[in-house]
Amino acid sequence: MSRSGVARTIDHDEFDPIGTLALVVLYFVVLTVMWLFTYFVEFLGHGPTVVGLLPLG
Amino acid sequence: MRIHTYEKLWLAGSFVLIVGFIVTVTYGSVGLGIDMIGEEADGVSPDEISSDERFSEPRVEQVGENEYEVYVVAMTFIFQPDPIEVPANSEVTFYVTSRDVIHGFEVPGTNINSMAIPGQVAELTVEFDEPGTYGVICNEYCGPQHHTMEGSLVVTPEWEFSQTELEVDAPESVAQGDEIDLTATVSNGLLETHESTVNVTIGSQTTEQSITVDGESSENVSVTVDSDELGPGEHDWTVSVDDQEESGTITVGNETDTTESVPASVGTETVSVTMNPADPTRASRGVGYP
Repeated sequence: MSRSGVARTIDHDEFDPIGTLALVVLYFVVLTVMWLFTYFVEFLGHGPTVVGLLPLG
Repeated sequence: MRIHTYEKLWLAGSFVLIVGFIVTVTYGSVGLGIDMIGEEADGVSPDEISSDERFSEPRVEQVGENEYEVYVVAMTFIFQPDPIEVPANSEVTFYVTSRDVIHGFEVPGTNINSMAIPGQVAELTVEFDEPGTYGVICNEYCGPQHHTMEGSLVVTPEWEFSQTELEVDAPESVAQGDEIDLTATVSNGLLETHESTVNVTIGSQTTEQSITVDGESSENVSVTVDSDELGPGEHDWTVSVDDQEESGTITVGNETDTTESVPASVGTETVSVTMNPADPTRASRGVGYP
C-alpha cells in the first residue's frame, strides 16, 4: 500500500464530503425525534403536570 | 471568509433546532400553562406548624368552584393528610412543607414532584381531569424508614366527592321507659350546598332522613326512639351519611338498675377496690387474686 506521490488540487467548493453530510443530517434527525419524544410523549404524556396559577387552557 | 455550502447547511440546521427547542418550551409554558414549582407562599418554621393556620390541620379545602387547596405536611415517615382526596375536573394547589428533615413529595407516573423542605413551603398547582388513584412517595432519603414513607392521592369522580363529617351525640344508657335522643351533626366542608341522606339504625329500627346542608355549615338530625319499643338490654346504633359512619351501643336498663348504678360510681374505696380486681395498685402491693 504505497501512497502515490500524485496530489490533486481541488477548488474550495469541489470538496464534497457527502458521507459527513449524511451523518450530520442523520444526527439532526435523531436529535429532533428524541426531543419530540422527550417533550411530548415522556413529559406531556405523563400528566398531571404542574401548571401555572393562571392556566390559559 | 468562504464558508462551504455543507457547512452553511448544518449551521442553519443547528439554529433551526435551537429555535425549535425554544418554541416547544414556550408553547408548553404559554399554551399549556406549564410552570415551575414556586415558593411564593410564606415559609413556616417546623416548630410553628402546629400553630400555623394553614398546616396545623393538614387538609383538603375548597377555595372556589372546582378549586381546591391541599396543605400537606411531610414528616418521618408519613404524609398528612393520607389519603389526599380531591375531585376530578378540579384545579388543586398543593402547599407542601416538612416538619423535620428534607422529604420528597412525588406522585409517581406524573410530573408532580417537589421537595418538602423544613421551613419552606412548596406551591404547586395541578389539574386533575380524570378520576384515579395515585401513590405519593418520598424521594429524598430521610431516615431508616424512608423506603416505607408513602401516601396516596385519590381523585374521585366529581359526583362522589364530598367533605361530609359526622358527629353523633347519643346517650350510653337510658332507663327503661325513657326516650332515646340521638343527635347526628352533619357538617359540609364544601362551599356548595350538599344534599344527602342520613341513615339511623337503633336496634332493629331504621329511619332515613334527607338533609340539605349549606356550604361550610352543619345540620343536626335528631332521632327519638322510645326505649320501651327496644326493650331492656344493649342495643347497637349506627348512623351513616355519605361515606361516614358512626356506631355505638345504648344500654336500656330498668329503673331499679339505673338507681343502683349511681351509688356504685361514687362508692367508697373499699367498694371500688372490690369491684375492680384488676386494680394495678393492689397488684403491686403483692395481693394475689384467685
